[in-house]
Amino acid sequence: MSANLSPRTFRPYTGEKARIARAYDYLVLVLALFLFIGSFHLHFALTVGDWDFWVDWKDRQWWPLVTPLIGITFPAAVQAVLWTNFRLPLGATLCVACLSIGTWIARVFAYHYWNYFPINMVMPSTMLPSALFLDAVLMLSNSLTITAIFGGSAFALLFYPSNWPIFGMFHLPVEAGNSQLTVADMFGFQYIRTGMPEYLRIIERGTLRTYGQIATPLSAFCSALLCTLMYTLWWHIGKWFATTRYLNRI
Amino acid sequence: MATITEQVKALNEQAKFPPWYLKDLYRYLSAFGVLTAIYMGFRIYQGAYGVSTGLDATEPAFEIYWMRLFNFNVTFVTLFAGVSWGYLWFTRDKNLENLKPKEEIRRYLTLTMWISIYTFAVYWAGSYFAEQDNSWHQVAIRDTPFTANHIIEFYFNFPMYVILGGCAWLYARTRLPLYAKGISLPLTLAVVGPFMILVSVGFNEWGHTFWFREEFFAAPIHYGFVIGVWFAHGVGGILLQGVTRLIELLDGLEETA
Repeated sequence: MSANLSPRTFRPYTGEKARIARAYDYLVLVLALFLFIGSFHLHFALTVGDWDFWVDWKDRQWWPLVTPLIGITFPAAVQAVLWTNFRLPLGATLCVACLSIGTWIARVFAYHYWNYFPINMVMPSTMLPSALFLDAVLMLSNSLTITAIFGGSAFALLFYPSNWPIFGMFHLPVEAGNSQLTVADMFGFQYIRTGMPEYLRIIERGTLRTYGQIATPLSAFCSALLCTLMYTLWWHIGKWFATTRYLNRI
Repeated sequence: MATITEQVKALNEQAKFPPWYLKDLYRYLSAFGVLTAIYMGFRIYQGAYGVSTGLDATEPAFEIYWMRLFNFNVTFVTLFAGVSWGYLWFTRDKNLENLKPKEEIRRYLTLTMWISIYTFAVYWAGSYFAEQDNSWHQVAIRDTPFTANHIIEFYFNFPMYVILGGCAWLYARTRLPLYAKGISLPLTLAVVGPFMILVSVGFNEWGHTFWFREEFFAAPIHYGFVIGVWFAHGVGGILLQGVTRLIELLDGLEETA
């Protein structure tokens, strides 16, 4: 912790002091809940949101690459504060749980009830298994390096298998208009949007397409490498923001 | 065993709810209630009139249902900023040197409530109505920067959290000795950074003058919002400042049951 606290201060409080400390904890908990739903969700939606909004954007080359890469940012920054200063091994899970709450509320009330998109078309992906693993690695290793390498990699590698049970059924092939396409693509054609993923199909004409089913693991491993770096970067961003400095003027 | 007057007083103090350190609890809960009613009211209004009157900005009905709401929002947030910031400034504590430790503890908890209310407004602006904006743009071609969702998101929600962030900053600056002596860098970052999101509306709307048909959220014209929201991590520093000071204050308090 930044302040020079004497060991005496870490004695557990009793009586009224304990009640004050507990009241402060609850207030901080409410604060953190809304803070991370609001901020992490905005950050996530405006960087990789399209892949998360739509079932037909959940492709095998970009979705497994970019979603964990952006998803690991806030967890790393929050872990840097909560683990280093309070030994709370829940920074990643807190952020990702908040993100899930925010996305689910928005998908149901903003997409489904306002504009009548089927909920299956706009179901959010999950990063909870990845986040739990990341927190567990940090707690067990107490090491930034080990967590960045193993936790960061696992965060990316777990993403696709965690989501496959949710979204796999939408990748089943169907035949429509003399073309073979997925159920997810059918959603896209039935519910026309201004954000139709035309470009995803153009991207799929690239060389990676010849790799067939290997494309997804390749994307996941690429993401694993990048997550390792992203984790370290955002750990330091989190530490930098958690300054305790007071300035004379701004 | 006989109970003396002081013990009875102490027992009465303990039984009182809310206790002295949560004096502002009901105001805090009321703020949540009022904000929830406002934001849910907006959503119900959008549900009622979004599709029927909000699709074409050239229709007379759009002027009545949406531009009037826009004018109301801008007027309301301007007045609210003046009243709330003015109240906090003019009722400031001018005798902070003599602040009692118990009162300082109470004010730290109240500051946390202020920041909580700020983050609650950030939730509606950054999470719900932000994603809803994408949903709306997928079904309605934008023909104005004042869409049925923008009028609420950009011209009420964004200013509202900026005002509440400013309130938290002013509360700390005018009522807590450490924040009065120096300007807290993390608190300033956590308030000023998200304020820049409001400013980024200009960049965003300028960008949309080039692209209005294809609506992608992961587009560079939105990155101003993203960078602004990173500054929310300043809350980590506020937490450390608060915890450090609270420990000092609590250590100085007498033990009570």
